[in-house]
Amino acid sequence: MRSSLYILLKSPKFMIGVCLLFVFFAFIVIYPMINTNDPLEMVNMRFQPPSSKNILGTDGFGRDVLLEMAHGTRTSLTVGVISGLIATTVGLIIGIFSGYRGGIVDEILSSLTNVFIVIPSFIILILVSVSIQAKSVFIIAIIIGLTSWPWTARAVRAQTVSLRNRDHVNLARISGFNTVKIIVFEILPYIMSYVVMAFIIQLASGILSEASVSMLGLGPSNTISLGIMLNWALLQEAPLFNAWWTLIPPALTVALITFSFYLINLGMDEIFNPKIRS
Amino acid sequence: MLAGCGSKSNTKSADVENTTKTGETTTEKTQNEKTAAENKTDDLRKETLFITGLEWGPPSSFNYFTGVASFPVNNQNNMLVYETLFMYNGLSGEIEPLLAESYKWIDDYTIEVKLDKRAYFNDGEPVKIEDVIYTYELGKRYDILWSSLWTYIDSVESKSDDTIIFKLNKKDYNILAVTESLTNVPIHPKHIWEKIEKDANYDISEINKFFNESPVASGSYKIYSYDDTKITLVRDDNYWGKSKFGKLPAPKYITHILFKSNDAASLALKRGDLDYSQNFIPNVWKMWEDGAEVRTYLEEAPYYLSDSMPSIYFNLSKPGLDNPDVRRAIAYAIDYKKIIDIAMNGYSDVVEPALTVNNELESKYIDKDAIKPYQWKYDVDKANEILDSIGAKKGDDGIRVLPNGVRLGPWKLECPYGWTDWNATLEIIQQSAKKIGIELETYFPEDTVYENDRNTGNFDIVMSTPADVITPAQPWKRAHDILSAKELPPFGEQAYWNFGRYKNERAEKILELIPAEKDIERLRKLYTELTIIYLKDIPTIPLMYRPTYFFTVNESVWTNFPHENDGTGIPPYCFDGAGIKSLYNLKNK
Repeated sequence: MRSSLYILLKSPKFMIGVCLLFVFFAFIVIYPMINTNDPLEMVNMRFQPPSSKNILGTDGFGRDVLLEMAHGTRTSLTVGVISGLIATTVGLIIGIFSGYRGGIVDEILSSLTNVFIVIPSFIILILVSVSIQAKSVFIIAIIIGLTSWPWTARAVRAQTVSLRNRDHVNLARISGFNTVKIIVFEILPYIMSYVVMAFIIQLASGILSEASVSMLGLGPSNTISLGIMLNWALLQEAPLFNAWWTLIPPALTVALITFSFYLINLGMDEIFNPKIRS
Repeated sequence: MLAGCGSKSNTKSADVENTTKTGETTTEKTQNEKTAAENKTDDLRKETLFITGLEWGPPSSFNYFTGVASFPVNNQNNMLVYETLFMYNGLSGEIEPLLAESYKWIDDYTIEVKLDKRAYFNDGEPVKIEDVIYTYELGKRYDILWSSLWTYIDSVESKSDDTIIFKLNKKDYNILAVTESLTNVPIHPKHIWEKIEKDANYDISEINKFFNESPVASGSYKIYSYDDTKITLVRDDNYWGKSKFGKLPAPKYITHILFKSNDAASLALKRGDLDYSQNFIPNVWKMWEDGAEVRTYLEEAPYYLSDSMPSIYFNLSKPGLDNPDVRRAIAYAIDYKKIIDIAMNGYSDVVEPALTVNNELESKYIDKDAIKPYQWKYDVDKANEILDSIGAKKGDDGIRVLPNGVRLGPWKLECPYGWTDWNATLEIIQQSAKKIGIELETYFPEDTVYENDRNTGNFDIVMSTPADVITPAQPWKRAHDILSAKELPPFGEQAYWNFGRYKNERAEKILELIPAEKDIERLRKLYTELTIIYLKDIPTIPLMYRPTYFFTVNESVWTNFPHENDGTGIPPYCFDGAGIKSLYNLKNK
């Protein structure tokens, strides 16, 4: 375990990812403490360029972009974590169950998974978002989570199938352990590393999905997120006024946060997958 | 996307199936023309006036019967294809002749209209008295845009072969509605529509299916082609009005481009791909500062002439919102200056609450000193004072609760998604209300959802513009749309005015008296009393002044558009009412 941690800390990819993330965390925790205003408050005229009063200028509503960024990043991360958790849990349960049980259960669950893989999840996401009226951050996160589990399920199923007939699993089965116990104690530990990495990827793609849905104007209402900021900037014709400060910071933040998660994921891959360890 | 654009009814897709069928053949036609046209693009550009902002979706039909037909048949006073007897000039308040030569009052209940004998339809048939009578009487037989007129008219008869007599209803006496009809009943050729009616077995739903691809009408333009991205009109060089106006309108083609969003339209205008826009354009001055040959009607702020008042309507059946003091507190809490500065880009003066717009045409009807004590302005302390005085105490969450236990919110503040100026306005109101302990949530659904919610009363607070039309019947029409409960469909059914279902008997009575009155002094008294009732009860809160049409042009191809001090007296819009006169003055640069 200690050596794993050591390898991780030595991995530049992992460390860059973690540092980047840490910067963002520090920003969303500390900045709202310094500037305790309501991020939705219109403090200045619209599309004011960066100045000492508004460090990142104001958006099309005359709101402070930097403060919005702090709250928006928080919302985006929340959506990412919740949707990532949901997607990973659902994918894990369906994957393990269908892989371990096999037979007709496997057939049904696999075809369900395949159906969801074939239908682009983003389309489902849009359709569901359109049909729901009052959208809280939590509901958006659930919708994203519930539409992005199939890949996890498929990968977990494949790993479970290969584990199912290992000796220690057979031994447990002969000893009379029930299915739940076997799954939890004999199978889960072997795929845990994969699951953690899948969660990180799901988290990152959850943030991207929220940004995409919100950019289409289907995001959570009465709150602020990075996607919503981009959506309003485009609707209010920010490019026409060269108001780059309303577009570039949120876009860059979405990109950097997801990038840092992917870097962490890559770094962890090096421990769990010795073949590519440098 | 589109900035708040008035009240269209929501049955646009009524005969979509029919549309697609007829649409196919036209698309083919357009493509052929396109290849031929590519060779002489430059000439074509100079002959074509590119416009936007009058139509938002692909053409659904050019049939007035449907009530939701597309440009250039979308507004009753759009004169390009179908013409009316007179055209209203929203700048001077005058009624100018078009198909008719003149009108006069014979007595209080009779108007005599003299038809212009030169007029003929684009199939060569003359415009006759029979066509006018036929068109008016269509409203009697079917439920169409000018049906309600028959409440106020007893009969339309011919007196001689060029004179028509309109007899007004003595009981439901309304001068305004009848004069308005002279400017907004599009005259249909009897010989064409009689057949269509007969073929449809006099069934309105069958008549509605008629797409009317190439309308026979008396106007200066004909439908040339259309598809999902644009509608093109071609000038009728044989137009009868050549003798009336002395010449033909300058542009050979008028192409209305159907943009998907406002920003695309703004960019096109800035680049000069578009000559005329009726869209809301944020920070319009940036366009000329950046060197584009763009200008607005007024040279300086507020850039546009305002003639309407976007407002919020309260649903008066909701507990809490049914309390006039709560509504008054909200009225005091709203930061109107911020709405003008941020949402409206300064294109308006701060609104003075009343039923009238602050222009000369309307303010002459109001005794400003008499209504002053009832008017509100931005004053958070006063708003808090009102709420304190009715015993609304703040709960732990900072939101007030009335003594009867009704929590002040959360109420939804609704307007369509993508009407950015309106979206921003409602965001400001939400923030304003928060400061006095009232919880509002903005809600921006799609257009059609919004219209349905608004009309059926499925809302808490909804933004809409009362009587968003330029007509000689203002400001009565606006007052009516805000206050009248007469023949108003109940909650759950489609209503097109008084969305919050306000009811007041005295107001109703005054609304009946005004249209029967010609004396300005008595009118002033009535309007002032009505305004005071309105200011006491607050069924709506006006938020800003706004032009019905934002008039912005790019003069890199066409010049000589109407201008503040150009001396022509042509109002700042090119396609409705007397605004079409501007088309005759346009010149290529």
